[in-house]
Amino acid sequence: MSLIKHDIKIDESFYKVDEIRQLTDETFSLKLPKARFAFKAGQHISLGIKGDYQSREYSIYSGVNDNNLEVLVKEVEKGYFTPKLRKLKAGDLVEIHGPFGKFGMEPKDAETGKFVFIASGTGIAPFRSIFRTYPEIDYTLIHGVRYSTEAYDRNEYASDRYVLCSSRDQKGTFQGRLTGYLKNCTFTPETQFYLCGNSDMIFDALEILKDKGFERDQIHCEVYF
Amino acid sequence: MNPTNTKKVAFKTLGCRLNQYETDALVTDFDNAGYQLVDFDGSPDVVVVNTCTVTNQSDQKSRTVISQAARKNKDAIVVVTGCMANNFKEKLESQENITFVVENNRKSSVLALVDAHFSGEIIHPNQLPQDVFRYEPVQKSLHTRSAVKVQDGCDNFCTFCIIPMVRGRAVSRPVEEVLESVRKTLENGFKEIVITGVNIGRYEDGEAHFEDLLEKILEIPGDFRVRISSLEPDGFGDRFVELFANPKLMPHLHLCLQSGSEKTLLRMRRMYDVEQFRKTINQFRSVFPDFNFTTDIIVGFPGETEEEFQQTIDAVKEFNFSHVHTFKYSVRRGTRAERLENHIPEKVKNARSLQIRELSEENKLNYFTSFIGQTQDVLIEKISQGIANGYGQNYVPVRFKASKAEKNTVHSIRLTEIRGIGENMYVFGELND
Ligand SMILES: Cc1cc2nc3c(=O)[nH]c(=O)nc-3n(C[C@H](O)[C@H](O)[C@H](O)COP(=O)(O)OP(=O)(O)OC[C@H]3O[C@@H](n4cnc5c(N)ncnc54)[C@H](O)[C@@H]3O)c2cc1C
Ligand code: SF4
Repeated sequence: MSLIKHDIKIDESFYKVDEIRQLTDETFSLKLPKARFAFKAGQHISLGIKGDYQSREYSIYSGVNDNNLEVLVKEVEKGYFTPKLRKLKAGDLVEIHGPFGKFGMEPKDAETGKFVFIASGTGIAPFRSIFRTYPEIDYTLIHGVRYSTEAYDRNEYASDRYVLCSSRDQKGTFQGRLTGYLKNCTFTPETQFYLCGNSDMIFDALEILKDKGFERDQIHCEVYF
Repeated sequence: MNPTNTKKVAFKTLGCRLNQYETDALVTDFDNAGYQLVDFDGSPDVVVVNTCTVTNQSDQKSRTVISQAARKNKDAIVVVTGCMANNFKEKLESQENITFVVENNRKSSVLALVDAHFSGEIIHPNQLPQDVFRYEPVQKSLHTRSAVKVQDGCDNFCTFCIIPMVRGRAVSRPVEEVLESVRKTLENGFKEIVITGVNIGRYEDGEAHFEDLLEKILEIPGDFRVRISSLEPDGFGDRFVELFANPKLMPHLHLCLQSGSEKTLLRMRRMYDVEQFRKTINQFRSVFPDFNFTTDIIVGFPGETEEEFQQTIDAVKEFNFSHVHTFKYSVRRGTRAERLENHIPEKVKNARSLQIRELSEENKLNYFTSFIGQTQDVLIEKISQGIANGYGQNYVPVRFKASKAEKNTVHSIRLTEIRGIGENMYVFGELND
């Protein structure tokens, strides 16, 4: 007897860029049609440019029910991919694989849990997706940047939930690195922590949270680089 | 079986257990179709090389095997498949000594491709169906243990790893299909099955997770043993540990730690930390004190400081791995780690690798020694010059005088002394049943 045969899913497709939103000199968002693309808030995609063999991962910046699929991109000086992304215009084709990843929470937990989101730079992306998907979620977002201009789409977050830590100007809620702010915080024991951004920040923040007595199982990490 | 077929086929497999399983399944296909299985020197009409691309070394080995296969068998058709076929498809396709390059997701149709070739049809491998689970249960294997593939692909994107690029995203084989494959494999006479996949801990078929699948496999009636090929150390609970109370499930896990440094683990984008790893090990050893853990370690990952390396040494000592598969970090094109800063000089990597290997041998000796005077149930895999070879429950290699014992039977063996050194170390014993 032969075994049951089944089709394999093909998970790649091309999308036309709808719009590019310039957020700072270096950072922009790419808005793509959402079409049938289904994902969970917090997940990432792999993005390619038609005709280029390389691809990079990007957290999804839009909410699950938004009309567009959006990603937030910072152009990295001497980077390979981001300068090319920067040159894209509305109507150009990009290739998407995914969604991937387990960073995020179950919808029922989003309704009942208490969350602290900790992001450096563009690491804010999955948290915007989460917050737009679950508007009632109980969260505090601690965002570390160099200059306060990098507080992307800041006006979307309630001011009592968003803490901006800017290390190179005086315009944040806190002046200095986010880890400096974190050291002096107190959180309730059942808090779930979500950390996203560069690995050095994540390492330091993990140490601080573990020192405060939180279990590693309460701390979820998404490392960008 | 097709009695009119007089063609001969030879296989060569590189890399992981999953590749080995897929070759075994192809061997079964070719055998059923009447092909005679020979080795490279047996004038085959078809040579199938199932390649690996996980490190630069595996690329090099794969290339050498392909050119040897082609050189020795000038008239044979040469089929190259496996991960290298995905990673270097165009390059391989342009090589004149290769007839067909078949990507992983079409590998299960190699027989159809070869048959079509011999009957004069012209098919390009791209026309073959894509299905990573199309393989028939293994009947004729190059081994006594048979693997059963339950999962393929991975979405973790660890920064050093090429696998998500060459094996694709994670997919799980439906529970019923896995169970049917296990039953068939047992009917074919195998006494031990190895559950195999790329990231099997992430198995998911509807509501069923890896523990559920494992439980169902263990419920299949019969006298057989189950091993798990290798696991990523995240996401297990108490239930997983409890399943090992079942005597069918062998007390050994290959849990890939990769590094003992938290910082390195983050740069690798691994999904756990050392503390969680420790918790898992302790959970098992508190119930099964002699549980065998083996692991993979990468040394010289970009940015690995002396201190970070020392943390890995400490972890290998603390967790008492009886074997460490040590990899010197090598750049894989297109991975995130390729673009990380502070790549480590080869000399430093060599020295670190040597240190881990020495430690691994010390651990192995201690672990094997702890079994002296005890008995283990050994499945005989090979008998040569009157000496039977096999593994005990804890995956300790055992040899003993075979007397009347036969291949593919299980015997209780009293372990008496350690013989051999390094990779070739084993425990000698005597029949006790
Ligand atoms: C799961 C995941 C999600 C990601 N999501 C996002 C996202 O939402 N937005 C985003 O901009 N990037 C994100 N990244 C990083 C992204 O994939 C690319 O690495 C980044 O866009 C740089 O690509 P590049 O080819 O220009 O530079 P590369 O040549 O790949 O990198 C050069 C160097 O730039 C630095 N770098 C990389 N990413 C950033 C960054 N975001 N900010 C500052 N410095 C950086 C690193 O030091 C890196 O070694 C994510 C990465 C991962 C793994
Ligand atoms: S878990 Fe990491 S190392 Fe293992 S296959 Fe997936 S990406 Fe590779």
